[in-house]
Amino acid sequence: MSDLSVSMSAAGGLPQAPVLPEAPAKVTVRNLNFYYGEHHALKNINLVLGANRVTAFIGPSGCGKSTLLRIFNRMYDLYPGQRVTGQLMLDQTNVLDPKLDLNLLRARVGMVFQKPTPFPMTIYENIAFGIRLYEKISKSEMDDRVEKALRGGALWNEVKDKLNASGLSLSGGQQQRLCIARTVAVRPEVILFDEPCSALDPISTAKVEELIQELSENYTIAIVTHNMQQAARVSDKTAFMYLGELIEFDDTSKIFTSPTDRRTQDYITGRFG
Amino acid sequence: MAVESNVVDAAGPYDRAKALSAFKLGDLTFYWITRLSAISVLLILGGIIISLIVGAFPAMKEYGFAFLWTQRWAPSADPPVLGALGPMYGTLVTSFIAMLIAIPVGLGIAIFLTELCPQWLRRPIGMAIELLAGIPSIIYGMWGFFVLGPFLANTFQPFMIKIFDGVPVLGAIFAGPPSYLSLFNAALILAIMVLPFITSISVDVFKTVPPVLKEAAYGVGCTTWEVVRSVVIPYTRVGIIGGVMLALGRALGETMAVTFIIGNSFRISSSIFAPGTTISAAIASEFAESDGLHQSGLILLGLLLFVLTFFVLAGARLMLMRLEKKAGN
Repeated sequence: MSDLSVSMSAAGGLPQAPVLPEAPAKVTVRNLNFYYGEHHALKNINLVLGANRVTAFIGPSGCGKSTLLRIFNRMYDLYPGQRVTGQLMLDQTNVLDPKLDLNLLRARVGMVFQKPTPFPMTIYENIAFGIRLYEKISKSEMDDRVEKALRGGALWNEVKDKLNASGLSLSGGQQQRLCIARTVAVRPEVILFDEPCSALDPISTAKVEELIQELSENYTIAIVTHNMQQAARVSDKTAFMYLGELIEFDDTSKIFTSPTDRRTQDYITGRFG
Repeated sequence: MAVESNVVDAAGPYDRAKALSAFKLGDLTFYWITRLSAISVLLILGGIIISLIVGAFPAMKEYGFAFLWTQRWAPSADPPVLGALGPMYGTLVTSFIAMLIAIPVGLGIAIFLTELCPQWLRRPIGMAIELLAGIPSIIYGMWGFFVLGPFLANTFQPFMIKIFDGVPVLGAIFAGPPSYLSLFNAALILAIMVLPFITSISVDVFKTVPPVLKEAAYGVGCTTWEVVRSVVIPYTRVGIIGGVMLALGRALGETMAVTFIIGNSFRISSSIFAPGTTISAAIASEFAESDGLHQSGLILLGLLLFVLTFFVLAGARLMLMRLEKKAGN
């Protein structure tokens, strides 16, 4: 009984919203294994990210959450000695196909990192840069797109008078929203958030969380987080990972109220991790 | 009795103060050693400038500012006629061409090594670059004289001369006849010599780009070229320009290799395939047999090189500051 009450509080404002109907699959992971050289980092992962749903990945450090995320856009490809087996489908596209055009994949699967990563250029250019990679559009159209993206990143009102200032001159929270705007600007289908709020203050965190909720209307979202309240607040589904295995994957409300697996329960009640 | 007990009480703090004063002496010594080392740099620099000015004074008095735009160099005439235009021109042109070649190639190697190169090839190429930096300049000179010069004169030079024959400006730059000893050969050797500077510094600064920043750029779908152009180079431009300035400083002052292959001609020709000379090459080849006004003129040349190098590097720094301002950080 006491366990349950602790888990209730750990989950913060528990989402009382009715469980959403099953969404069509956007990303399908089947029997996925991942190796850093000899180290077997992900073991036989199976899960489905529903379209326009927010899926949270929780688990102690080193459990493979970020690794899994970095497979979704093949970021691991940048580093030699990392390899993957199994199947990962984005709609009908085989993401793990070695012949796949990675630039195209990464345009479809955007990523926001733990630390804000504005490029060393102006705020305007930070957004326009990604758009320009794929589209040749006029200056006025570009202005439009940049504004839209910055509005999408809930940043427009704060930066509209200083679009030519360096992206690095913004505060940490603003930088992170700039990075989200930049990701949105490319019009991806899936957005991956790798602990997007861990370097932010509470107010910026709230803004980013709100933003994630809004984005889920148009995008499929996967978010790795160490903050369980955050997972409870923003996600529809939650995956608990431990030591490279997917322990439990279910509706967020279920994970945080009545987890099936003992380890999930121990983790969300703060017994370890 | 009370007095005695006071002394005993004071013993503790007293010892500590003594120990501290020993530290203080060490600190003071350290402070003065470092300070003297720093001051000695100023003294040496000042000493060099003063002795250059003193040595160059007779020539300065004789030729005045005309020294700067006189092309004729006739030390055995009576009285000697000396002008620095030829060596100055040669110094600037060879360095400019050398940088024109070395910057793109050096950056290219650095980008390949940090972004594209398979792991097993990294060490061999990296080591080759380091070795290139370790070759003494006299070896470059001999190689340039016996191998590169004839090779260029038989292949590359006739080819360029033929292609640009009759083209307005370029025709004059690439004019014949081909020569073993030329400004271009010297510039090419210089480019090879400064390449390791540019490459190794660029590799070092490229490694300072946070991986996550590169990942973010790849994450919006950039190709490696786009990541390098838009993220890596802007992020590291200060370091790159630092490396280029170091290389430029070396190119401007390089003596031995250039003396071997530049031809030591004081005449200015529009063609880069013609022999020429640089300030340092002129000094090196004539100083031993010089005396009187001739020697003073050579020292004045040295002073000019000093000033020239200073202005070029100061200009580079100024450009850097402008760039910084434009980037807004």
